[in-house]
Amino acid sequence: MNAKRVVGAPLLALLLWGCKTPKQPALGEPLFDLTSDQQAQFLAGKKVFQRVFEPKDGLGPLFNGNSCAECHETPVLGGVGDEVEVHATRFSAPNDCDPLFHEGGPVIQQDATPLLRALGIEKEQIPPSATGQAHRSTPPVFGFGLVDAIPERTLLSHEDPHDANGDGIYGRANRTIDGRVGRFGRKAAVATLLEFNAGAFPQEMGVTTPLSPVEETINGKPVPPETDPAPDPEITMEDVENVTSFTRFLAPPPQQLLTNSADKYLAARGKKLFASLKCAVCHVPVMKTGPSAIKSIHCKQVALYSDLLLHAMGAELADICLAQAHPSEFRTEMLMGLRFREKFLHDGSAKTVQEAIERHDGEARRSRDKFKVLSERDKKALLKFLETI
Amino acid sequence: MKFITLLTTIVVAGWLALPAQAAESDQLKSDLVGQCMGGREKCWKFQSVDQIKELVIKNKTEDARKRVYTVALQLQASNANAKYAAEARVEYTKTGGAWKIKQVGLLSMKKIE
Repeated sequence: MNAKRVVGAPLLALLLWGCKTPKQPALGEPLFDLTSDQQAQFLAGKKVFQRVFEPKDGLGPLFNGNSCAECHETPVLGGVGDEVEVHATRFSAPNDCDPLFHEGGPVIQQDATPLLRALGIEKEQIPPSATGQAHRSTPPVFGFGLVDAIPERTLLSHEDPHDANGDGIYGRANRTIDGRVGRFGRKAAVATLLEFNAGAFPQEMGVTTPLSPVEETINGKPVPPETDPAPDPEITMEDVENVTSFTRFLAPPPQQLLTNSADKYLAARGKKLFASLKCAVCHVPVMKTGPSAIKSIHCKQVALYSDLLLHAMGAELADICLAQAHPSEFRTEMLMGLRFREKFLHDGSAKTVQEAIERHDGEARRSRDKFKVLSERDKKALLKFLETI
Repeated sequence: MKFITLLTTIVVAGWLALPAQAAESDQLKSDLVGQCMGGREKCWKFQSVDQIKELVIKNKTEDARKRVYTVALQLQASNANAKYAAEARVEYTKTGGAWKIKQVGLLSMKKIE
């Protein structure tokens, strides 16, 4: 009896420990296990992320926002914002996409500094040769460091460009203009987190960097020198790298832990429906990062709920081409942290998650149709599950 | 006679300079591999010399520690049909007696094909 107790107690403790929910960093906090140097880089990057640029520091003369934090602010730093951007490109069937760099594309800046406004220019115009324009809401950047570290081969393993399994869902990786596999941006036209951040400074804030040492044009025309008082580059490479460290080490949103047993049951039912409706074919729940010298990123699971591939989403949602993505193709939206968003779809035009689901089309039509005929209780279950991720 | 001598000297000097310039362009192409310029969708990471279809040195400045080229490029990925014309600023620094590429800045880019 005593011997049983001696063996039983540690076993029970082990079981309880095994069942314990793993601790997660709070929203807006860094990943666990950062070294002191990495924590310092995270904090230095956070400062740059919050830095408010003025024209004397390099803002503009054309811009969309005056700091990273202006758009990535809700509910905490790194989250979403209420800004909606304008993009424009030129598509010629069957496969030719011109990002219109020489005419100010693809990001069409919507604001101007007082010096440029004094010349009568208040924003950039849609280039006349554009065939499409798009609206883009601000994506949250939580967990982007882990997404950046998922090996390319993992993404490619989910491709099904000829629908070999006949499920009506294809999926192909976009390629950047230099031919690499893309993963960031609503059309997956950006390959790495560093490039995603480095491009945000000139394109969103009109702030030049060592990698982009001249101002963006005004629809292809150089900015008048008198409207650009700050010497180029307007920030250092160290600033760009620090912001990248901030976003690299920003933890994914913590999973919502339900305490009410009715909610738990509902969410569990919703999770099963998410799989059975084949939502999870594109919104792949979990991927694993590759080997990394950074312990907190090395071989970690990330619950991104995306395959990071392009899927045709139907004519109604179609807008612009980008790199190899056609106007109707979008990268599967990452759903992690969905409960912290206030508007949905790539352009923020859906007011609820349910509306976003019901506007899926193209490769997602079968799943959408199955969702539409679910009982109200099952719809509620699926939506409850989505509130937990 | 003097005119002919001068003309011959210019032609010979130019002929001798051509291989030197070609060698400098080849060195630049090779040094660019692994470098990245621009950002977001307007970004080019040089993955191989083969992606650089053309490189013309438009300007070069140099002091004891820094060398800066302005180059015109034609770029094409091996797995894409599109071709881009770009202008870039390529900065080298002298480290331990040798010139080493420091960074590449994208000055302009345009899809040409």
